[in-house]
Amino acid sequence: MEIYKVLEIKKSVYENNDREADLLRQELKKEQTFLLNLMSSPGSGKTTTLLRTIEALKDELRIAILEADIDSDVDAHAVAKTGTRVIQLHTGGMCHLDAGMTRQGLEGIGTDQTDLVVLENVGNLVCPAEFDTGASKNAMILSVPEGDDKPLKYPLMFSLVDVLLINKIDVKEHFDFDLAVLRERVKKLNPNLVVIPISAKTGEGIGEWADWLRGAVKSWNQPE
Amino acid sequence: MHELGIVYEVIKIVDEFVIANDLTKVDKIILEIGQLSQTIPHFVEACYPAAVSDTPYQETKLEIIVLPARGECQLCHEIFNVVDHRKICPNCQGEDFSLISGREFNIKEVVAY
Ligand SMILES: Nc1nc2c(ncn2[C@@H]2O[C@H](COP(=O)(O)OP(=O)(O)OP(=O)(O)O)[C@@H](O)[C@H]2O)c(=O)[nH]1
Ligand SMILES: [Mg+2]
Ligand SMILES: [Zn+2]
Ligand SMILES: [Zn+2]
Repeated sequence: MEIYKVLEIKKSVYENNDREADLLRQELKKEQTFLLNLMSSPGSGKTTTLLRTIEALKDELRIAILEADIDSDVDAHAVAKTGTRVIQLHTGGMCHLDAGMTRQGLEGIGTDQTDLVVLENVGNLVCPAEFDTGASKNAMILSVPEGDDKPLKYPLMFSLVDVLLINKIDVKEHFDFDLAVLRERVKKLNPNLVVIPISAKTGEGIGEWADWLRGAVKSWNQPE
Repeated sequence: MHELGIVYEVIKIVDEFVIANDLTKVDKIILEIGQLSQTIPHFVEACYPAAVSDTPYQETKLEIIVLPARGECQLCHEIFNVVDHRKICPNCQGEDFSLISGREFNIKEVVAY
């Protein structure tokens, strides 16, 4: 009879993905392509904000979009109408994207001759936070109707993003959303987080957001 | 579902390990999942049979060890279970802590020959 042995592996399940993500990030850096990973709950305004962002930056940056809707290509169509290159990723019902899927999307769309790629991640505040996509920077949208207590419920997401957009600021009067309280909560989790209130509907704050993104792309292309 | 993709990743890593170490049969896979991991042990167990069916791991058992969510109080340096104490230090009632463990998701070991 064969004898079973206990063999130690001691390996994080995320390790492979983390390694792939780092590799992808290095390649993008060399190609001078900036990848923004955009995360949020469903319906918080990712696509509307993307359309505004394209409008603001399309004359100075060559932009491409990766859409990761679970089961439709509605968002990809909306983006395609602006004349921007867009690809729909097939996530096969997955609730998050990993570096491998992101790489496939980037290969599909082609990143030479591209300055900025925005990845609209799957609408979910939980597991996208655990999977590094290889992005240069991570952004999150929190919309006013979702409430200012979200940082308490999803601390991991808030602690790892580089910039937080507070969207739908135009309807703030109708909700008891306290921006000062939110800033306080967020600061505890992530002291360096940049918070920008916007309305993708009226265009308020989009200028400041475009400035942030422009600056981030510029420093990405600077040699170390 | 989130967990299914994760279980595939586990199988992939185990498979690489099996090939690298020239193993023939894996009797059991032992995972460590942190109490604060976004991956729920119960769901991992639930989708495991589907993930391994029609693979060489069909007969392989799965064991999950839950690792406690431990935090260190920033004020008095007490180490406590963050979930049990609802993020409040039992010693000084401080609310600021740094997490020591609880987000892991590791493949600890396999029992194999
Ligand atoms: N009032 C208001 N409505 C907005 C704003 N931004 C987006 N919306 C509306 O919110 C709804 C959802 O916006 P989307 O841009 O589709 O949100 P999304 O995050 O891309 O949604 P999913 O891709 O389905 O997760 C739409 O009806 C938008 O018109 C805003 O700044 N103010
Ligand atoms: Mg959308
Ligand atoms: Zn997921
Ligand atoms: Zn204490």
